[in-house]
Formats: sequence, structure tokens, C-alpha cells
Amino acid sequence: MFNRGIRMLGVAAVAMSLIVSGCSGNTSTPAPASSGATPSQPGAAAYKDKLVIGSALGDPQGSWDPIDTFVVAWGMVASNIFDGLVDRGTDLKIKPGLATEWKYTDDKTLEFKLRQGVKFHNGEPFNADSVVFTFDRLLGPEGEKSPQRSNYTSIDKVVKVDDYTVDFKLKETDPVLITKLAGYGGMIVPPKYIKEVGDAAFDVKPVGTGPYKVTAYTKDSQVVLEAYPDYWGEKAKTKNVVVRFIPEDATRIAEFQTGAIDIMQTVPVAQVKSLESDTNYKVIKVGGPGATALRFDVSKAPVDKLEVRQAIAYAIDTQTIIDTILGGNAKRISSFQGDISFGNNPSQQPFAYDPAKAKDLITKAGATGAKLDLFFSSKSTASKEIGQAIASYLKAVGLEVVLNPVDPQALSSQLIPQAKAGQMHLFGWGGWTLDFDNTAFLLYTKGQMWNPSFNDPKTNELLVKERGTNDQKVREQAFQELTARLRETMPDVPLYQSMAVWGTSAKVDGFTAPPDDRMRLSSVVVGK
Amino acid sequence: MGSYILKRLLHGAFVLLAISLVVFFALRLTGDPVMAIMGQGNPTQEAVDAMRRSLGLDLPLWKQLFKFLGDLAMGNLGTSFRNNQPVMPQIVERMPATLTLAGAGLFVSLLVAVPVGIISAVRRGGFLDIFGRIFALIGISFPNFFLGIMLMLVFAVKLRWLPASGYQGFKYLILPGLTLGLILSSIITRLIRSTMLDVLRAQYIQTARAKGLSERLVIFRHAFRNAMIPAVTFIGLQLGALLGGTVILEQVFSWPGVGRLALDAISNRDFPLVQGSVLILATVMVIVNLVVDLSYGFLDPRIKVGGKGA
Amino acid sequence: MTRKRISLKRLVTNVPALIGLLLVLLAVGSAVFAAHLAPHDPVAAELRLRLDPPGWDPASKAKYLLGADAVGRDMLTRIIYGSRISLMIGIASTAISMVLGVTLGLLSGYFGGWIESIVMRVADVQLAFPFILLALVIMAIFGGGLTKLILILGLTGWVSYARLVRSQVLSVRELDFVQAARSLGAKDLGIIWRHILPNVISSVIVLSTLQVATNILTEAGLTFLGLGVDPSIPSWGGMLADGRNYITNAWWVATFPGFAIMLTVLGVNLLGDWLRDELDPQLRV
Repeated sequence: MFNRGIRMLGVAAVAMSLIVSGCSGNTSTPAPASSGATPSQPGAAAYKDKLVIGSALGDPQGSWDPIDTFVVAWGMVASNIFDGLVDRGTDLKIKPGLATEWKYTDDKTLEFKLRQGVKFHNGEPFNADSVVFTFDRLLGPEGEKSPQRSNYTSIDKVVKVDDYTVDFKLKETDPVLITKLAGYGGMIVPPKYIKEVGDAAFDVKPVGTGPYKVTAYTKDSQVVLEAYPDYWGEKAKTKNVVVRFIPEDATRIAEFQTGAIDIMQTVPVAQVKSLESDTNYKVIKVGGPGATALRFDVSKAPVDKLEVRQAIAYAIDTQTIIDTILGGNAKRISSFQGDISFGNNPSQQPFAYDPAKAKDLITKAGATGAKLDLFFSSKSTASKEIGQAIASYLKAVGLEVVLNPVDPQALSSQLIPQAKAGQMHLFGWGGWTLDFDNTAFLLYTKGQMWNPSFNDPKTNELLVKERGTNDQKVREQAFQELTARLRETMPDVPLYQSMAVWGTSAKVDGFTAPPDDRMRLSSVVVGK
Repeated sequence: MGSYILKRLLHGAFVLLAISLVVFFALRLTGDPVMAIMGQGNPTQEAVDAMRRSLGLDLPLWKQLFKFLGDLAMGNLGTSFRNNQPVMPQIVERMPATLTLAGAGLFVSLLVAVPVGIISAVRRGGFLDIFGRIFALIGISFPNFFLGIMLMLVFAVKLRWLPASGYQGFKYLILPGLTLGLILSSIITRLIRSTMLDVLRAQYIQTARAKGLSERLVIFRHAFRNAMIPAVTFIGLQLGALLGGTVILEQVFSWPGVGRLALDAISNRDFPLVQGSVLILATVMVIVNLVVDLSYGFLDPRIKVGGKGA
Repeated sequence: MTRKRISLKRLVTNVPALIGLLLVLLAVGSAVFAAHLAPHDPVAAELRLRLDPPGWDPASKAKYLLGADAVGRDMLTRIIYGSRISLMIGIASTAISMVLGVTLGLLSGYFGGWIESIVMRVADVQLAFPFILLALVIMAIFGGGLTKLILILGLTGWVSYARLVRSQVLSVRELDFVQAARSLGAKDLGIIWRHILPNVISSVIVLSTLQVATNILTEAGLTFLGLGVDPSIPSWGGMLADGRNYITNAWWVATFPGFAIMLTVLGVNLLGDWLRDELDPQLRV
């Protein structure tokens, strides 16, 4: 919830998600669904030919080029414009995309059979050249500026075998690669078109192979999509889609209530109840892997003392925070990951709310009356409110908290990395990898940008152990030890995993709320 | 006249140069844009270095500055850090939205302020004066975003007369234009009232009255015209506030203007885009103020532009 | 130009000015006596009472007169304490602008020459700089917070003072008594302090009332953009900006601070209008 705008797919893509491992072998091609009645055809007059969506994330920073970005605002829309070789849908499972099957021909060669008869929106055919071009571009000079590139550096080069077969030559084994290819940087782009119009023009007039093509785009205002009639898979049921960028909550809800938008991303907590009781609307909640924690800079007094960190954990009534501020749309966690994440230990309990114990611990540590700085995003209503609640809870046990609302960009890219974010900060983590590895490695090993001071040899050792193997049993065992170890050492207090709350008009059908915000619009219809 | 304009243009150029320097250095204190762009992707050091090179941020500061100023002299505002597009067309594309909003606000405000201001002044101390002044003050007594949201709730959500937000046609302009207009109108009403009061006391108005001209003629032919001179100057000076007000209203009404562009650019640490937006907005202000000065001659032929008064 | 005196008799017969005075006194009074007036703690959160409706609503649990905010604090208490913060923001930032602007205005008007050139050029630059964007960039460098907010408002607001004072000094400087003082060998700074400053002060006071009102509003705007002060500090602007998300289902959270701002700003402006009419009717602010 905190890093909404900058929740990164990059993080997602680095992961080996275990629930996909069953799919990574040869998979048969699902026959392109030829669901007969699309609304544009006669006989489907019950549906509108236009769907309007209100995006809470805003504009994807001005570019639709898959390699220019890693904001979710991009994936939310562009997952309907582009396809990768493989596809991770709203069920978070990997399916064939522009590739129909794949296999490792040797340790460092991954061969893809490509789907035939696919055309880009501009009519350009999709084939092995498109794949080679896409990855040459990402790994070549154009990709130098790409925040996506670092996710794909295990690829040495992509070689065309024949028109519909490519080999990925790898520098090193990379069990995560298949998942990564469903990530932003793996989206296949049209070589002829880009060479013709140039990279800059492609940014604002993107062309892909997806079920929708872009017909108009006004930065910070809206993007207009039109169903692509020659799409290779299930064709989109609603002809026109307008995605409007309305980051201001009050405005977005006003638009939703006036019926100007059919689907609304992120219903503000305060509105959920009233919308739920109104039959004109549907409210859909989906548990995502995103989690939030209160993180410590353990080099700063008084949180350098373990007792103080423990006291803070006991002092905060997280369940009440969830029930009130978050309207119940969250679940408690005992380590910094959601319950669908690999590595989560369901039997480990979160800290109980016990202010008396907290007070004791603080007295013992001699920290009574100590002053602590708490940093959080000034642009998130929830973090402002949670910050104030935490300050009150800690005051009750004898700690003074100074609240520091700051620009979220400054917080994540400067203050935390430079250890200037006080003793504590509220930190949201996408966790799209669905595997604790990525989270734990980036947040708990020494020298990582968001871990200014925590350094525990045992933690490092366990991370090396789980990284060094593909044996999931061994990894699971290591993660169990790791989550227990983190609870003992307390680099943070894991608070909750959040749910995304979407609102739709009651007339909307066929919409599945995406846990990762990457909407799939092909099957959505709006009744008249 | 010609040399006066030339002098003013040089002066404007100086102001813009100073602003470019301030923005250039201030932005470089806001943190590392490379981390802002790539940070969450957990990039390797190589990738970071490559990105820094490709953005030209590996050069020493003075070299960056000279490149920026050199490009600027050629009319080139640089390339966005985020979408690799030249900055200038992106801003130019957004100007109409901002100018339309500002223009609508100005129009609404004059529509309200001119009659209210005149009546207030002519009937000074009377009921209409008190009523008019309090009415005018209400507009400036709410923060603009709150006024905007309230108007949106009433006219879009409750009454369903107007769209709540967006930028697709005249209907969409009404609410943001009205919000901005109400705020400005209170400022301008006060101004017109006080300048009218001034002018009405002046010798030549007394003379005109003494000559037996009708009060209506005195007010509109003589007083109002003269009262407009300070009003116009003031509006020119208020342009900064006007454009500042649009930044927030663009956010409230999802209005795709330069203000929102700049706001996003600051939070994305897209230096060239921020530099460009600030410079272009500043240029608009410099030009408007120049036009305002030149328009004195039109409003009052007795004033010789370029003389002492300027 | 001669000094004017304020007539209390004219104040009593001037309805808008009276209203203004009353509103300002109300705000100042609650700021001064906040600790005695406020029924509850302005900072401590009580999540159980989140968005509890105003006391007259049967659904109200705590029976707080004006309801509770998003973390369950008494709105009335917050609004009473809020007068302190909001007036402090308005007055402190205005004081900074005033001291800076008047000093620079006096110096550049009296001495002219290079001082005047520099001050007026810097003023031009400042005026052409879009304020909100400047504030955003500064906040991105130094972070937010009450002190920084006051400094930003204060350090950017000096231009109108400097211009106003300078133009008045230009005319006062040539007056007989100033020339006389000079020919009697008085020091420049002494002349400025004793003879010129008193003549420009009335306009400065008028301008300041308006500036106080504007700065209270600007604080709200900056908080709206996410640059404001610690949310537990009760500033009206902050309460309003944070409350806007609840406007359709907990209207009291935004509406009451909105009215507090409106009434105070209205009061300050009405009083300012009257002061201007009394002291310096020619002043255009």
C-alpha cells in the first residue's frame, strides 16, 4: 500500500515462483479461444462497447516502452497491449504466451517454439526476428538506460534457429528466467516499427501483439485502447477501453459514483462499507503478496538494543490498526511476506499486543523517555494514520515518537539507503516474487540499499544456503530457520499483508481483480 | 519604444537565465535520479554506471551546467530522463490545458469582479458593498483544493450536471474554471473596488460630474477605464499565483496541464523535464508582464511607455 | 504623505470590520487559551473512535461535539489547538517576509544604486518562479516539517514588501523633513529608522494582514500536495487536506477545519480591508 506508485515488477520478475514450476516444461498450446459473440458483432447488444477504468496509479511516467519502466502503473494497462513469450495471468500461474513450448536443450540453452500466425497491431508479423530484436535491444545500448535490464543479465544472447524457433544462450544457469520472461522487460516488441519510427515515438505510440491496441494517449490524462481484431488468443469482448489516470482519491471516487468510470482501482478504505451496501456497485478484494513492516535502523540508539525493538513490537496493537485504519482489508503477518509466499511459516505467531511487557522491557533497557524518529510516505493516507497510531501506542509505553512524513521517492531512493531515515520507517514491499528469497536477500543482507545497518552472520548463512540450491525442501527448511531467526533478531516488526480493493459498477461482468494489479481486460463486459 | 522593448527583453532573458541556474543547482541537491529510476529494480553497479553515463550525469557538474546552458541557448531543453523524449514538445503539448484553465479562471473572475467591484465602490459602505465584499472574500477564504472538491461533490456527484474531472471538452472546463475563477475574483474584486474608490475621488471625475455628465457615463467612460490600469498590472503580477493555483487544481480535476507534468517530474527526479517546465512557466510570466507594461499605452494614452513610470 | 491614525469610532460603525475583528479575536483567543478550552488531548490516537460522528448523531460513541478524526481524536480539541499552529504558520512566516522585505525595500529605495539593482533583479526572478514548484523542490531537498514550511513561506514572501516599501521610500526620501534631517548631518540609517520607516509602516501592516491569510491557505495547499507537517500536529490546513478523503462518508473531518480556515481568513481579510481604508486607501493589495 505504501509504495503503490513505485511497486516494482522488477522485484517480481527476479523470482522463481514455485507455483509456476509445474508449467515450465513442455506445455501444450491451448487452442485460441474462439468465443463467438463479441459485442461488436450483432446479437450482443446487451453490452456497451466502451469500458472506462479509473487508475489510482496515474501515468506510467510518460512511456509505454516495456523496457523504460518498472512501475505497476505500466503493467496495469500494458499487460493488455503486449505479450511475452510466457504469460503470468491473474491466477499468478505461468502459461504459454507468444511461445507455445520451451525446453532446456542443455544447461545454458533454453529453446522456445514460437506461436505462428501472430501479427503485431501494425500488421507486422511476429517471428524469431522479433524475439531476437527485443532482447538485443534490452541487452544492447538502448537497454543501458533500462531499469529492466538488470533482471535479464543472465542472458548472453538470443539466437534465431528458424523463423519460429529461438535459443536463449545463458551466461549462467537461471532457474528464475521463465518467470522473468513474463515480466515487463520480456515483452516482445515490433522490430520494423521501432526502426521506422524510432524509440522516442514508440514510447508514446506503442505497438504490441496483445488483445488491445493503443489508439490515443494523453499523458497524465488517459490512454484509449481498442480491441485488436486479429489477436491470436481470446479476442477482447469490449471494443473500446479508456483508462483514465486519477490518482487523487476524492476525485476518483466522485467519478465512480457518478458512473463515469466502470472499474475503479483502489477504493479508499473509508468508502468500502458504503459501496458494499449499495447494489449499484461491486467491491472486490484480492489478497496480494504485498506486505508492510516497521523497519529499524539497528545502528541507532535506542533501537540498537534488542529489548527496545521487542518492546516496540509488543506495544503496537496491529490487529486494531488493521480493523480500524485498514477497514479489515489486511492480514497480520509474522515475517515480512504474505501467506502465499514461499518461505512463509504459518505456525509462527506474530507478536501479541502486550503493553505491560513492553513497558517492562523499556524500563529494563533504560530507554524510558527516549526519542525516536519515524519516517513514512507523506503521500499515503494509510501510512500517515498508522504512523500516528504507532506514535500513540509507543507513547503509552514511554517512548516519544517524532513523525516525519516525507516524499516517498526520497524515502526509498535516498533517506533509507543513506541511513537518514531515523530509527524507524514504515516500508511497503511488493513481494511479487511469491518467494521470500528476493525480499530477505534485499532487506537483510549487509550492503543492500534498503538495509543500512542490519548484519547477522546466521541470516547471511541461511540466505546463502537457500540460494545455492534448487532443492525446494532444503530451501523451505532454510526459510523456516530464517523466519525464526529474524523474529529473534528483529530487524523489523512485520505488520500486515494488504489486500487490493477494486470497485466495479454492478453492470460489469467478467472482471477478475488482479493480485498484482496487472489487469486482464479481454473478458470484461459492461451491461447497458 | 523599440529600445524600451529591447531593454525589457534583455531583462527578461536575465531573469530566465537566473531561474535556470537556480533550478539546475537546486535539482541536483534533491538526490540521485539514477537511484530514483532504477532503485527498485535492484540493479548491478554496472547497470547504474551505464544509466548514469547515458543520462550524462557522470560528467562533472560544471560540464553538465555548460551543456545545459549551451543546449538552452540553442532552444533545446534536453531529453527526459524517463521517456527519452525531447522535453520541449512534451511541455508545449501541455500548455494549452494550463492556459485554457488559467484563461477560464481569469474570465470567470472578471465576470464576477468587475460588476461587484464597481458596485462596491460606487455604493461604498452600503448594503451592496458589504454583501459584495463578503461574497468576494468567501472565495479566497477556502483553500483552492477544498473549494474544488466541494464544487465537484455538489455539481458532479449530487446534481450530476457536470463531469467531475477530466479534459475532454467545454463541460470539463466548467468546474475547474469556476474554482479558479472564484478564488481570483475575490482578489480582483478588492482591487477594482479600491482603484475605483481612488479614481472616483480624483479631480477630473469631480469635474466631469460638475459638468453635469450622467453618473453612469462618469463611472464607465472615465472612472472605470482609469481604474483598469492598476488592475491590469496587478493581474499580470498575480499570474504567478494564477499558475500556482492551477498546479493544485490540475491535480484535483485530473487536468493534464504543465503543473501536473512538473509535479510528477519533480517526484520522478526527471531533471530536464522540471527545468523545462519551470523555465517555460517563467517565460510565460515574463512575457505577460511585458505585455501588461506595454498595454498601459493602450489603456491610457497619456502614459508614455518607456518613460519614468516604467 | 502624513501618518494616519486608526479611529476606533469608525471601527464600531463599520459592520464588516467588526465581524472581522470578532473572528480574529475568536481565533487568537482559542490559540492563547487552547489548553484551558480544549476538552481532550489533541495528539493521542484512540483508534476505537475512528471517524466517530458528531455528538448530536445518535450513532456517536464518544459524544464529541464535532466528532472524531481518522485516528479517533476529538475534532473540537484539534480545531482549538489548530488555531495555534495555523496562526503561528501565518504570523511567523509573514514576520520573516516582512522583516526581510521591509529591510531590503528601505535599503534599495533609500540608497538606490547597485543595492537597488540587485534587490529588484532578485525580486523579478523570484516573482517569475512558479511558487509551488519552488516549494516542492526545496521540500525535496530539505524534507518537510513545520519549521521548514514557515521558512519557505517566509523566504519567498518578501518580494511584495520590498517592492511596496521601495516605491514609498522613493517619494518619502525627497520630502522636506528628510532633506532637512540630512542637511543637519543625520546618519543615513538614523534617517531611515526615524523618518522613513514610520511613514511606510502603515502600508506594511495592511499588506501583512493579507499575507497572514494567504499563508494559512498556502500551508493547506502544500499539505494537499503531500509536503506538509507532521500529521499529529493539529494544523487546520493539514486536517483539511488529510480529511478530504473522508468527505463523503465522514464529512465532519474536513468540513470543520475548512470552516475554521474560512472564518479566520475571512476575519483577517475584513480587518485588513478596514485597516487599508483607514491607513492607506491608495494601497493596492
